Amino acid sequence: MGRFGLIFKSIAKGRVTEKYPFAPIELPEGFRGKPEIDPEKCIGCGACATVCPPSAIQIHVDEEQGYKTIDLFLGRCIFCARCEEVCPAEAIRLTKEFELAAASEEDLHQVVKLKMAKCAGCGRPFDTVRHLQFIAEKLPEEQKPMLALCPDCRAKLASKILTVAARRHR
Amino acid sequence: MMFKKSLWVFHLNSGSCNGCDIEVLNIFTPKQDVERLGIKLVGSPRHADAIAFTGPITRECLPKAIEAFMAVPEPKIVLAIGSCACGGGIWFDSYAVIGGIKEFYKILKEKHGIEPPTTIYIPGCPPKPEAIIYGVALARKAVEQKQKSEIFVEESDIDDAATLFKEATSTRHFIPKIEVIKRGE
Ligand code: SF4
Ligand code: SF4
Repeated sequence: MGRFGLIFKSIAKGRVTEKYPFAPIELPEGFRGKPEIDPEKCIGCGACATVCPPSAIQIHVDEEQGYKTIDLFLGRCIFCARCEEVCPAEAIRLTKEFELAAASEEDLHQVVKLKMAKCAGCGRPFDTVRHLQFIAEKLPEEQKPMLALCPDCRAKLASKILTVAARRHR
Repeated sequence: MMFKKSLWVFHLNSGSCNGCDIEVLNIFTPKQDVERLGIKLVGSPRHADAIAFTGPITRECLPKAIEAFMAVPEPKIVLAIGSCACGGGIWFDSYAVIGGIKEFYKILKEKHGIEPPTTIYIPGCPPKPEAIIYGVALARKAVEQKQKSEIFVEESDIDDAATLFKEATSTRHFIPKIEVIKRGE
């Protein structure tokens, strides 16, 4: 193709510049945009916070108020979708939203505060109500009562049961 | 609006992996072509209206970043491009970086007593070229900001595991079946 061929080709091709921001653009299939937590579905298990490579999702536990906070900070998210992969409740989803620019850092947070349940033994809030209900659905009936206790009390109870049982069978 | 005419941008790579820099270059290619909107990259911070940071600002480049920042005449806009510049990204707690533009402002305030200028945060890893254009448009107040913080607080009366699992309070259920191997058998 000679010099003129190239010119004809570009004339035939026409305008390639897109009109953005005056017209919307087309996004490719599987585009990973802003992650969003559905607050109605989230059970507060913390799986997403564990796998998030840059710790964009952080979990804070407020024992006095009895709340667990899931804080998603978009300003650090790398849009890897690992949170979407692990979420057992399918609460977190990567949408196709990419226009995330904000004039302040506070606008980049999504916060979900979930109520925690107090341990039947010591009274310390130890897990979210929704998470306990989620596990209870999957457990056999005779193990469910154990869910009312925090891990510490559970360990104490288990050792007590073992000692009692061992004495009985001596 | 602070800048009525063309916006000239000085692009400063402060320890970025080059992903964001490529996207910044992308918006000057024929496909996006932001020069049609009057946005131009300049070679010296003294000619710029805005300074675009990419990268989490490494310790090594901190003095240079401060120097370049101070060389931009007032009034100025800061564009924090990419997740690293916005909040430190993957390296936010590394010893080698200061961790994003917010920490940079803290250092500026402590050492030089400079107040942070208007800042536009453009998250993305890297942000789409269109996302950067959107951020610049936001800086010029040509578009509405879509991203807002959301806070959800669960309303619930239950805050006691004992009410959740009522059977738990009766001790009979507390003893699960344990098989004990007797000695001497
Ligand atoms: S339910 Fe999903 S979004 Fe909620 S804490 Fe668990 S993994 Fe994260
Ligand atoms: S997409 Fe990746 S970086 Fe972003 S919140 Fe999910 S796990 Fe974290």
